[in-house]
Amino acid sequence: MIALSLEFFKLRRKRIFLMIILFLLAQMVWAFLSLSMSMSKNNVAHPQWEAVIAVIASMNGLFLPIISAIIVSRVCDMEHKGNTWKMIVTTNINRKQIYLAKYVCVLLLLLFYVILQTALIALFGLTNDFISPAPIILLGQYILGTMITSTTIVALQQWVSLSLKNQAFALCLGMVGGFIGMTADLFPAIIRQFFIWSYYTGLSPATYLFTENAATYISRPLDPFMLIIALILTAILYAAGSWRISSKEI
Amino acid sequence: MNENAIVATNNLSKYYDQICRVNKVNMVVKEGEIYGFLGPNGAGKSTTLKMLLGLVKPSEGNVTIFGKDWSKHRQSILKQIGSLIESPSYYGHLTGIENMRIMQRLRQVPNKNVEEALRIVRLENQKNKKVEQYSLGMKQRLGIAMAILSFPKLLILDEPTNGLDPAGIGEIRELIKSLPQRYGMTVLLSSHLLSEIEQIATSVGIISDGKLLFQGDMSLLKARSRASISIKTMDNGLAIKTLFPYGFMAEPKKDRFFFNYMSDSQVAHINKLLVDHGIEVIRIEENKMSLEDIFLELTGKERSL
Repeated sequence: MIALSLEFFKLRRKRIFLMIILFLLAQMVWAFLSLSMSMSKNNVAHPQWEAVIAVIASMNGLFLPIISAIIVSRVCDMEHKGNTWKMIVTTNINRKQIYLAKYVCVLLLLLFYVILQTALIALFGLTNDFISPAPIILLGQYILGTMITSTTIVALQQWVSLSLKNQAFALCLGMVGGFIGMTADLFPAIIRQFFIWSYYTGLSPATYLFTENAATYISRPLDPFMLIIALILTAILYAAGSWRISSKEI
Repeated sequence: MNENAIVATNNLSKYYDQICRVNKVNMVVKEGEIYGFLGPNGAGKSTTLKMLLGLVKPSEGNVTIFGKDWSKHRQSILKQIGSLIESPSYYGHLTGIENMRIMQRLRQVPNKNVEEALRIVRLENQKNKKVEQYSLGMKQRLGIAMAILSFPKLLILDEPTNGLDPAGIGEIRELIKSLPQRYGMTVLLSSHLLSEIEQIATSVGIISDGKLLFQGDMSLLKARSRASISIKTMDNGLAIKTLFPYGFMAEPKKDRFFFNYMSDSQVAHINKLLVDHGIEVIRIEENKMSLEDIFLELTGKERSL
């Protein structure tokens, strides 16, 4: 707990919450404008929650890898810049604890992003005359699926950000991930599984089915196979990163 | 192992890609002393100190600190060590006091230590300024404040005066000198500057090319600088033969011969003996090796002084 609270303490004056909120607003303005335009174009009188969740999950494929890379980079870069590893390592807290604290810190910040995002989805639904009230279970599954994907992506980003001093590489990886996440739905399902950035749509509780000349939005349970793959990948990436940083000579 | 040794290393070695950086170092730092770890740049000082702190794993040998095996008692040993290695570590976007608070929580020491440490390094008036706005000297002092925050038994400082101006060097020097007496700390201090070690340390270890060439009290090193007497005559061979029966054994070198340190009366006696035997004396000189000469002789290098 000491290590975790210190991670938040170290983020003082980094304006990380402001950055998260601005980034989220950019995504949501884009998403809601495109949804509103689509609804008015198609004369949808009573839009579905599934449509909003599916569209935003798809946009998360672009936005969340990038914001994850930025947050991880902010949290890790200060240790490189200040040469602080040698200070931390010579105290009685070990590197694995610090690695875990950083990981949890980033995930809590992303959870803040996703919860705020979910609240905006609910607000959008309530102000747009949706058929049913806000579906708590569906939104809960949405948060779960998004966060599980984030645990994998953050594990990868943190490994890279702490291993390499130059954060340009980590940020590039986030952007490449965003590009793959955005275009992942175009790949065949078997190939999609190799790209963790595509899991935002893969683990979304809502998706769309293409019929002859239209798309139908449906809800679905979280894919257990994909869930297990994501968790296994998280464990592997986290363990590899933690081992690498703990055994590195300073 | 020496009974009152705070730090003892046994054949401590480090190889990087099969290149030996630290070669079987047996260092002994006794309680309450200021141990000056002296060597040219690249001699292996920082690598040795990093091995004492667990920042670098030894390739061979072991480290005992406070009488405990480092590899088995890492946490309890580190609790009692403060360190500043190479350059100060800090979060530039935070203030001095915030940096100290981080260290305080990592070390789990009381609040009052933060104020006391800042007071000792005379940063109490700058504590609310962001560290990125500090001068190099202030950053160095902050680094020392972080190192002494827990008032450790052992303080390891690697080149603590690097980059400081002469006034800053003097200030840090006086501060370090006062620590053993005021707070009962043992200080292990590395430097490539002989003058710095000479002014601060009570004992010294000299390292070059990874090998510990000398270790002992500063007085032992200074004893090596005792004067020798060199004499040049018109016939040095005859002079040496003449003096031998009187118990004076000289060592010929180039165009003169040498005696170890001797008193004024002995020098006068030798002079008289030579003159009485008809040997013309050209020159009698006293040669004193400076610490710098000794250091250069030991390390075989004329650099970084």
